Amino acid sequence: MQFDLDDERAQLKQATRELLEGESPLAESRALMEQSAEGFSKALYAQLAELGYLGLLLPEDAGGAGVGHVGLAAVLEEMGRVAFPGPFLDQILAIETLRRCPGDEARRWLERALGGDVLVVLARAETLSLDEPAQPETRLADARIVGRKRWVPFGAQADALLVTTDQGLALVPRPDSGWNATPLETIDLAQRFAEIPLAAPGSALLGPAATDAALAEVDRTGALAAAALLLGVMERSLELTRDYTVERQAFGAPIASFQALQHRMADMLIQTEGTRAAVYRAAWATDAEDADAARLVAVAKAQAGDASRFVCGETIQLHGGVGYTWEYDPHIYYKRAKTLEQFYGSTRDALEQLLEASGI
Amino acid sequence: MDLRYDESQQAFRAELRAWLADHVTRPWTQELRDPANDADALVELRRDFQRELNDAGFLGLDWPVEWGGRGLGPVEKNIFQEETAWADAPPVPNFLGIGLLGPALIHHGSEEQRRRFIPKMLSAEEIWCQGFSEPGAGSDLAGIRCRAEPDGDDFRIHGQKVWTTFGPWADWIFVLARTDPEDRYGGITFFLVPLHQDGVDMRPLRQITGEAEFGEVFFDGALARRAHVVGKLGEGWQIAMTVLAYERGATALLEPAKNDRYLKDLVTGCRENGTLGRPDVRERIARLLADNEVIRANAYRTLATLAAGRAPGPEASLEKLLWTEHARRQSEAAFDLLGPQAQLATRAHHARPEMDWAYEHLWSRAGTIYSGSSEIQRNIIAKRVLALPTR
Ligand SMILES: Cc1cc2nc3c(=O)[nH]c(=O)nc-3n(C[C@H](O)[C@H](O)[C@H](O)COP(=O)(O)OP(=O)(O)OC[C@H]3O[C@@H](n4cnc5c(N)ncnc54)[C@H](O)[C@@H]3O)c2cc1C
Repeated sequence: MQFDLDDERAQLKQATRELLEGESPLAESRALMEQSAEGFSKALYAQLAELGYLGLLLPEDAGGAGVGHVGLAAVLEEMGRVAFPGPFLDQILAIETLRRCPGDEARRWLERALGGDVLVVLARAETLSLDEPAQPETRLADARIVGRKRWVPFGAQADALLVTTDQGLALVPRPDSGWNATPLETIDLAQRFAEIPLAAPGSALLGPAATDAALAEVDRTGALAAAALLLGVMERSLELTRDYTVERQAFGAPIASFQALQHRMADMLIQTEGTRAAVYRAAWATDAEDADAARLVAVAKAQAGDASRFVCGETIQLHGGVGYTWEYDPHIYYKRAKTLEQFYGSTRDALEQLLEASGI
Repeated sequence: MDLRYDESQQAFRAELRAWLADHVTRPWTQELRDPANDADALVELRRDFQRELNDAGFLGLDWPVEWGGRGLGPVEKNIFQEETAWADAPPVPNFLGIGLLGPALIHHGSEEQRRRFIPKMLSAEEIWCQGFSEPGAGSDLAGIRCRAEPDGDDFRIHGQKVWTTFGPWADWIFVLARTDPEDRYGGITFFLVPLHQDGVDMRPLRQITGEAEFGEVFFDGALARRAHVVGKLGEGWQIAMTVLAYERGATALLEPAKNDRYLKDLVTGCRENGTLGRPDVRERIARLLADNEVIRANAYRTLATLAAGRAPGPEASLEKLLWTEHARRQSEAAFDLLGPQAQLATRAHHARPEMDWAYEHLWSRAGTIYSGSSEIQRNIIAKRVLALPTR
């Protein structure tokens, strides 16, 4: 029985930390999030692709890194720590989807996406809620896709969309005229969303039943991945809180010496470490194809969501007034947590999946 | 990462499971409910069961063979906790001896002490209790005043201990007593003291459950032999702390396994009363299931560290807070979701046959107090893990 990462994954995690601390310190990525049109660094994404980060889940014989969900979780934990902006996870999930599609077209896009040459993302939601439509209103007929998708992650910047339609999954390359996207700005600046009206040529990738089956697997990876990002978010949030409260003086002492605050930070640690245990256990179970994997992923997602709500909220509280300023970083983590809690399978969905997997 | 059990661990589980299927002829909950079993009879049932376990080689699993153990590791010990909890087996009565004193003797005792005390501890011939807390010293354990005065080669104990679990049925007590009034930590010594002697008065104390499962004990010159000092004079504090630390994680999988059984009954109850389809009920149950898996995940982490022969990290300090606070939420949920049926006393008519929620609910208030209260656990995390400054 071994819980620690093996050497390969531990080194990957360490290398990722060094890369991100060097190339994506929060001060710099905040400038990108707040001021650039894309909201992330395309150069850094190209570098990540070059280094093979987009192929973490692909087996080695398929040109991937073969480090599995445990390796992916280790990388995402690091990305969570620096509130890494951009479509990294969305791109991974699109790649995971393309991998499950037969045909040359899917393979071509998969290769280009893996190489970082194109940005492909999933376009699924049609309403303002994230609930998956039982039957998408977006239609595929005569090789044209007509409809409207919402909450498309980094949709405005995408080179192609993987669209759920009444006929199953279809691929829509960006038309020459562009997407005509309307941004849906949320409070989280590290993540962009768009609403995209579709009336464009596209091609079918998978039939409806195969689409459901493929997306169920992709969603599981998405939930686990979001939980791993949340772990990093909480970890760093707690560090900020600790550092600030040790530094800050009030009533003639560092405020970290007050027991009321110490106990809150102890609870933050408990929630963070509990999430770590749940995330890596679920990642391991997924890689081991354990019969319990779906249930454990639901546990990790639900735990990470609830825990991050508490940890990131307390981070603002324990910073006092500066915690409410734009200048300080607590709100960046707080807002990241909101996206990751609600998207990629909300807490409510995770709890329902947990019940279902438990036969209840 | 690899969370699988190896082949010999799986074989051990299979062996134990088969043995339990043969030997747990009646689940413990039903024994508790049987009006023919008074408190003493229940202790005797537990004693008998412990003897059977020991004869079959299932106790002292992680202790060296030379002192009556089986020479296995923490993983097997946790498999034991899991299987016995799932089987609703009678709990061993000598849990304080086996859980705390055994490791203390193995790590700090003399060869003679190990040979003298371990076999009878495992066979339940001698039941042990723990004499640490005093009326004036609980959380602040180093504030104990109970003292040991030299008497020739030996010592005489004077003072009081309280909240002594299983004291009313115990034969021996391990006591922290002062051998130097000046030295707060270095003046404490670890003694093994027989209870059946002059100068010892053990009085049962009734708990909120109505049973007198703990007691208070008054020492008025009770004899403690020099040969029964564990470690050296003045090492008592250090021994107590290392033993408690060593024990963290040793039974990590016990509580989640118990919760599996409890949650199953909660779900069954909600199915029976027709509320299992209600969204509020489903959410409440789902969160408890999730919490229990978080506890188990954390337990695997602790266990893996112990199995690698390393000292547990931050995860071990979370463990007690996680499970004790979960236990409260879980039994509160049972009261809310099962209604007054959950409040029926152990032997009341219509009490749920497989789960004593009323007892569990009250007992869940103890877990956050004993073995270092929740507040003390948080202090420890703040100081040792987060390294926060003290005032
Ligand atoms: C069911 C049960 C069984 C027990 N069995 C045994 C046994 O077998 N042997 C044995 O020796 N003892 C036993 N105990 C005693 C137990 O270890 C003590 O009750 C416990 O350590 C608390 O001490 P206390 O009762 O003196 O409470 P106090 O120390 O007076 O604490 C009262 C309250 O103050 C809080 N508090 C105290 N200090 C601090 C602090 N520094 N910061 C913040 N909050 C603080 C506590 O958390 C608690 O909420 C048992 C207790 C129970 C309930």
